[in-house]
Amino acid sequence: MFQRIAESSVIDGVDIQLDGEICRVPITLSVAAAVLFIKGDADYRRHVDGHARAPFCLMGCCHECLITIDGEPNRRGCLVSVAEGMSIERQLGGSQDDG
Amino acid sequence: MGELCQAEIAIIGAGPAGMAAAIRLTQAGIRPVVFDMGNAPGGQIYRQLDVPVIGETLSGTDYYRGRDLLGDFSRADIDYRPRSQVWWGQCESDGVSLGVVDAAGVSRWHVKRMLLATGSMERSWPFPGWQLPGSMQAGAAQILFKEGGLVPEASPVLAGSGPLLYLLAWQYCRAGCAPQRILDTTPASRYRLPLRYLRGAWQGRHYLVKGARMMLALKRAGVPIHHGVEALEATGKHRVERVHYYWRGHWHHQDTSLVLTHFGVVPEPQLGRAIGIPYDWHEGQQCFLPERNRSLQARTRVWVAGDGGGIGGALNAEREGRLAALSMLTIPTNDVADRKRERRRLEQRRATDLAVRPLLEAMFRLPSHWLSEQPDTTLVCRCECVSLGELRRAIEQGAAGPNQLKAFTRCGMGPCQGRECGESVTRLLSTVQALPPQEIGYYQVRPPVQALSLGELAATATDA
Amino acid sequence: MQSDFLIIGGGVVGMAVAYGLARDGQRVSVLDESDDAFRASRGNAGLTWVQGKGLGMPHYAELSLDASLTWPAFAAELEARTAIDIEHECRGGVDLCFDASEAKVRQRDYAKLQLSSRHLAQHFRWEYLDRQALQTYLPGLGESIHGGTWSPHDGHCNPLHLLRALHAACRSLGLEYHASTPVLSLSPCLNGFRAATPDSEFHAERVIVAAGLGARNLAPMLGLSGTVRPVRGQMLVTERMPRVEQLPTPQLRQTATGGYLIGDTHEEVGFDKGVSLEMMSCLADRAVRIYPFLRQARLIRAWGALRIMTPDGAPLYEASSRYPGAYNLNCHSGISLAAFHANELARAIIDDRLEERWSAFSGARFNVPAHC
Ligand SMILES: Cc1cc2nc3c(=O)[nH]c(=O)nc-3n(C[C@H](O)[C@H](O)[C@H](O)COP(=O)(O)OP(=O)(O)OC[C@H]3O[C@@H](n4cnc5c(N)ncnc54)[C@H](O)[C@@H]3O)c2cc1C
Ligand SMILES: Cc1cc2nc3c(=O)[nH]c(=O)nc-3n(C[C@H](O)[C@H](O)[C@H](O)COP(=O)(O)OP(=O)(O)OC[C@H]3O[C@@H](n4cnc5c(N)ncnc54)[C@H](O)[C@@H]3O)c2cc1C
Repeated sequence: MFQRIAESSVIDGVDIQLDGEICRVPITLSVAAAVLFIKGDADYRRHVDGHARAPFCLMGCCHECLITIDGEPNRRGCLVSVAEGMSIERQLGGSQDDG
Repeated sequence: MGELCQAEIAIIGAGPAGMAAAIRLTQAGIRPVVFDMGNAPGGQIYRQLDVPVIGETLSGTDYYRGRDLLGDFSRADIDYRPRSQVWWGQCESDGVSLGVVDAAGVSRWHVKRMLLATGSMERSWPFPGWQLPGSMQAGAAQILFKEGGLVPEASPVLAGSGPLLYLLAWQYCRAGCAPQRILDTTPASRYRLPLRYLRGAWQGRHYLVKGARMMLALKRAGVPIHHGVEALEATGKHRVERVHYYWRGHWHHQDTSLVLTHFGVVPEPQLGRAIGIPYDWHEGQQCFLPERNRSLQARTRVWVAGDGGGIGGALNAEREGRLAALSMLTIPTNDVADRKRERRRLEQRRATDLAVRPLLEAMFRLPSHWLSEQPDTTLVCRCECVSLGELRRAIEQGAAGPNQLKAFTRCGMGPCQGRECGESVTRLLSTVQALPPQEIGYYQVRPPVQALSLGELAATATDA
Repeated sequence: MQSDFLIIGGGVVGMAVAYGLARDGQRVSVLDESDDAFRASRGNAGLTWVQGKGLGMPHYAELSLDASLTWPAFAAELEARTAIDIEHECRGGVDLCFDASEAKVRQRDYAKLQLSSRHLAQHFRWEYLDRQALQTYLPGLGESIHGGTWSPHDGHCNPLHLLRALHAACRSLGLEYHASTPVLSLSPCLNGFRAATPDSEFHAERVIVAAGLGARNLAPMLGLSGTVRPVRGQMLVTERMPRVEQLPTPQLRQTATGGYLIGDTHEEVGFDKGVSLEMMSCLADRAVRIYPFLRQARLIRAWGALRIMTPDGAPLYEASSRYPGAYNLNCHSGISLAAFHANELARAIIDDRLEERWSAFSGARFNVPAHC
């Protein structure tokens, strides 16, 4: 749902693992941004009420971007930069904490 | 208690306010410690400016203006700590204690003086469907733009009020993905207000000119702008598929997969409130602001500068940072007269800069009845899924204040700790009880201000 | 504004009694302070607890035991009236012991308590279980825990929903609730009592002080002792975690929504409901020792609240002898005793037989002269 504009400067890429799948993303992205970039927002996360939710503020306030990073659940994806070899798992189990 | 780290002065936040303060302190021979959650200095406005992804033609000139500040900041002798979240603070007689969590774990700091330069956040403004994927804040979209040059694949709808909405629309236009339309909740007549606020309009002419230019550019690009939109709704099965808006006496519908909203920014309240700074309702800005004196001091050893103290924009934040730094310097030196002059100059500049604010506030004033006109099903607390109807019921049952309402409904008890619903709850109670927001008050904010795990916290125990 | 009863305090004690009175057809008004007042009812652990209560005072142990037996019916009644789920559960509980000496003292205390009363000897059941035996009740229990006392009478509820349900039920019974109406003074008047607030006066035939720590000021005005002091308790709550079948403990319990409630400290710090890093870390350390799987759980909130403590820790139910029709009620287990307060205690007040019926809890036991 998001694409990179042609005019943006060339940025290095890193390989991350998103739900087991290896993807290359710009190194400047946060985990939340990377997931939106690769997968869009439709299946970002499932909330306590079972409904789909996705990042809302991307600046550390709303806690809608909770995601499992390197095995640690419920981290704010917007505050963590992607890094080479990082493993990211979306939390689709229907609670804020299915890690 | 783990290791206790010490510093003379701590600054929380490396946005324009925090950076400017830190630089000024180093000029006086002090090496402050600067904690910031971000990966790089810059704060909200200068995000990613250290390694810019978008060029000046796309970002607008304000963004690149921050390069000098960033340069000075990186050259100065500052104990800068990125990716460090201050999760706890406590004022003591001889200083301030802070709890900091970073990749290495939790540490405890004791500093003699502290500057809060924690900035602002986008105001939460509930409408039906705002919790659906496909509904984001405009600031979030701008962050994607700055961080990775990311823009929506399909043309979005922008809705709300305030300069950031138009800035984003303009940036998207420049990047070749013009928005489908702009749903502006500000009535068209408000854009004629500058005629009534002549002094403010003159002092803030560059803002106004910039705004007018952007609107013009959008019109030229063929983006429909609807002024005076009165209600908004997003619908869709699992994500946003359509937006509905009430405009000129009718509901209109628009298919879209992305609606980006903006309703102004408000000071991020958590840390300031958690350490016990009193906050007062500000009628103009329609939010709570920390009490500060002329030297920007909020408590004996605590100063607040930048948007965290009241919305004034990036340049004002920089000036406030410098002013606060001057006021924090206690050691008498032989350049007292110079400092006095510097301070006076900054104060004058600040007054000039802030003169436009009443006008901007009046122009972008949000409708105070918005929340009370929402349907019962509208979610107010996104974390705990508490609807407006549920809040209304609890108020009827005797929840007379924000904290009792929270206890009765769990509104504000989720991971965001009330950041997204706090102001709404105050507004709702204020309408129902016909009392000013100041009398209604706000949630009592407690640590942790930023998330940490029990394991991390336990590691600081004495016998661990 | 004349009613049968004026209740000062809208915490769980005042509202439970108010509910009992209103259900009986009494006209009741409740005066309460503002939103940010000290209100233990909003900061407690939500245990409906029996074991350990009344060590050295068997009457209190008996009262706690009997109250726990009436809790299920009380919860059902409130839920039927208000459709608010109080999340009450009484499937037993465990008070943990961290080492052998604690375990020894605990067992000795309980045995002694049982010997002190026929009622308790017959009905109070408990058992010491070692760590291994506790695993079925507390799956995942950490290595360093010695064991704990299990008792079938203990349970827990959502204390916030309890408070809300009491408010809602009272409202549906026609009770008048006045928030932000602090009582400055209480005095007798021609046909009853008068409560002065900043903006107005309220009158009633009888008056009940259920003001928590506010009793210190208000009770003496009507010849009642109100000898209570604040004892701070700090608590932590985690994010929601997957639900695990487990029993509550006073050290920590999982709530119905999944968060772990971790408590609590006992601190004599006066009227300060703040939190301290020392105590927060200490609670976290204890929690991860009890359940090592909690290491990764994120802390959502820490808070401090003030207990309303009488000199011997047991409830204080007093009727003024100088001003008949004036009562003072204090206790530091207002959740555990809520069912009792709404039923028998309210009945005793309606019949004006409080001192007679519950003399063991009278202020006379402290022998503090009521001040004039
Ligand atoms: C989403 C958003 C987008 C904006 N975009 C623009 C724009 O494009 N153009 C424009 O002119 N203005 C913009 N503004 C307004 C602009 O950000 C402010 O005027 C200016 O940045 C204020 O500077 P500041 O130093 O006060 O705070 P900020 O720049 O917000 O900096 C505050 C810093 O404090 C850090 N922080 C906060 N709490 C903690 C904590 N507990 N521990 C550690 N660190 C913490 C934050 O991470 C942040 O880096 C935007 C505001 C927002 C909220
Ligand atoms: C950390 C902690 C954990 C606890 N855990 C448990 C537990 O697990 N189980 C259990 O049974 N109990 C527990 N308790 C105790 C329980 O919370 C209290 O016994 C109970 O809440 C007391 O209720 P109350 O109505 O007497 O007092 P409060 O809740 O304090 O209410 C008193 C009310 O009186 C009002 N008031 C005071 N002065 C005036 C005035 N002048 N005019 C008008 N109104 C006034 C106040 O505003 C307040 O609303 C715990 C307490 C704490 C602090």
